[in-house]
Amino acid sequence: MPLLVIGLSHHSSPVTVRERFAFAEAAVPGALQELRASGLAQEAVILSTCNRVEIYAVSDLPENQAAARLQQFLLDYHKLPAPPGGEIYARGGREGLKHLFKVACGLDSMVVGETEILGQLKKAYDTALRLKHTGGILNKAFQKAFNVAKHIRTETNIQRGSVSVGSVAVELAERIFSSLSEHPVMVIGAGETSEKTARALLSRGARSIFVSNRSHDRAEALAQELGGRAVLFDDWAAEFPRIDILVSSTSAPHCILDRAKLEPLMKARKQRPLLLIDIAVPRDIDPSVNFLDNVYLYNIDDLQAIADDYLQQRRDEIARCEAIIAEKAGALMPAGSSVAAAADAPLPDLGKASA
Amino acid sequence: MIAGHCQTTPTEFFLADAAGQTNVTTVSWWTDRHFFLLAVIAYGVSAVYSLFLWRKGFREHDRINYAVLLAGLLLQTKAMFMRGLSLKECPVHNLYEAMTFVDWTIVAVYLVLGLLPRLRYLGAFASPIVAAIGVFALMPGLDPAHTGQPLLAANALVSLHAALTLLSYGAFGLSSVAGVMYLTQEHDLKFHKLRAVFAVMPPIDRLEKITNRLLWAGLVLLTAGLALIPFLPKIQPDLHAGTDPKIIWSALVWGLYGALLILHGRFAQSGRKFAWGAVAGFAFVVLTFWGVNLLSPSHRF
Repeated sequence: MPLLVIGLSHHSSPVTVRERFAFAEAAVPGALQELRASGLAQEAVILSTCNRVEIYAVSDLPENQAAARLQQFLLDYHKLPAPPGGEIYARGGREGLKHLFKVACGLDSMVVGETEILGQLKKAYDTALRLKHTGGILNKAFQKAFNVAKHIRTETNIQRGSVSVGSVAVELAERIFSSLSEHPVMVIGAGETSEKTARALLSRGARSIFVSNRSHDRAEALAQELGGRAVLFDDWAAEFPRIDILVSSTSAPHCILDRAKLEPLMKARKQRPLLLIDIAVPRDIDPSVNFLDNVYLYNIDDLQAIADDYLQQRRDEIARCEAIIAEKAGALMPAGSSVAAAADAPLPDLGKASA
Repeated sequence: MIAGHCQTTPTEFFLADAAGQTNVTTVSWWTDRHFFLLAVIAYGVSAVYSLFLWRKGFREHDRINYAVLLAGLLLQTKAMFMRGLSLKECPVHNLYEAMTFVDWTIVAVYLVLGLLPRLRYLGAFASPIVAAIGVFALMPGLDPAHTGQPLLAANALVSLHAALTLLSYGAFGLSSVAGVMYLTQEHDLKFHKLRAVFAVMPPIDRLEKITNRLLWAGLVLLTAGLALIPFLPKIQPDLHAGTDPKIIWSALVWGLYGALLILHGRFAQSGRKFAWGAVAGFAFVVLTFWGVNLLSPSHRF
């Protein structure tokens, strides 16, 4: 009874297809029950996230037949016709196990190395375990997957670094300030990216946040969400001496902060280091302010360049991670074992591309 | 390199047969200078390895450099113990001994700070300095034989004065290392070098605090060392403190570091200027230390 994986992911299908196959969180227990009751699977876990819908199952049917019937279950459950081809993939035995390990490690994710998927996988497994839809094979496979994810996180650089603009901004702030809790932040312009950046700073310890926006109502709403204080747009300079980090993303057509304006403000701040994050296009802050002592200015391109470099580093680590995964999967399911032999048999062609 | 006076007598082992008539003598030629040479080689290896770390962008937590510097310190401690035991007092009587003392202080304080992983790269910045000081200390002529001046050798206050002032130079040395690290990190942040975020380095505000604390430690030690001067025995009865170039120089060093700390603490001097001040201050100490000792009648070894 080898492990079998069937499903769709961002590799094989667009969101317009994935969303039709998605299982609502509340529907997962019912779907698992239905799957078990059909006799198709002796053990099952359903993973449904925004980037993937997968069924991990153990069936006593021949593998090819089990894969075809699991696909049919997926279609029937959602009352959908068979997709044109290539969207649904299937992996059996050791390949299925390796796929599970890759998913747990974030190697199969849209942002390589991201850790959110591990939490989602644990939650999906816990649901199936609690409802007694797992057994010896899936329990062993999932526990091993969590161990492999931990091993890869500590032994490789696959999860190292920040790959979003917001988290890069936080990392820069942490290269200047020892503790973000002691350094107030000001957000000028209550856009989506500045909000994300502010949230990232909050998640790493920033406590005091000022929000200023042309629309004061929007500033107040965001300040309330972030647990900060709204400042009138015309008064932001008055609060400036108190802050150490500025995130700016207004839609102003010209610079709102230049060297002539910043120099006296820096004197008022007693030359404490100041991190300026300018994520506006066109830019809000005159690049010449970077020549002032203790001022560190980064614009959106600078942040993106760092994020891209981190992402490239993660991609460079993939081969190392895959070698570890192959070794761990081989240890759990050695080649030559009856399970592995069954796994190596070709699966039915559920789609032209099993990514 | 080993030229100079070997202060430690080679060890002799006397073996006698059962009848007590035949003596076999084995001589160990390992003097304290040999151990110090090995320590300097370790510091040199660390300095070369630091170049590779720098080229790699200080991306990985570094344990190798820490271990090499620890090995160097153990060898140097052995050397200083041997010298101290042979003299039966703190070995701070000539330029060689003074410089080894400064070297030892820098490495010892680094090894304590380096217990924190993010501060471990201080070693990469410190090793070229300690290696250079070590090589200079081994130069011929800086380690003359002790004259056995009973007046100075027997005076504990002289030893304490020398030890305190040399420890202060060690603290100033390490503050300059932290200053170099600050300037590197600050430059990388300012000019958007990827190394600024990829390097396993402490934030610049912590480096500024470390520089500040080391300078304060150095200034307190120097103040204590200088405060002992009126109580020290005089080598020449007609010699006045106000005319001794070494004492004038020490007062100047004290004033320079004091001014630097006041400018930083009271007048919001920028971190970059403060770091440059720490680096320039120690460069002044290192470059003038030898010459001013030659000029000083009370410090001519």
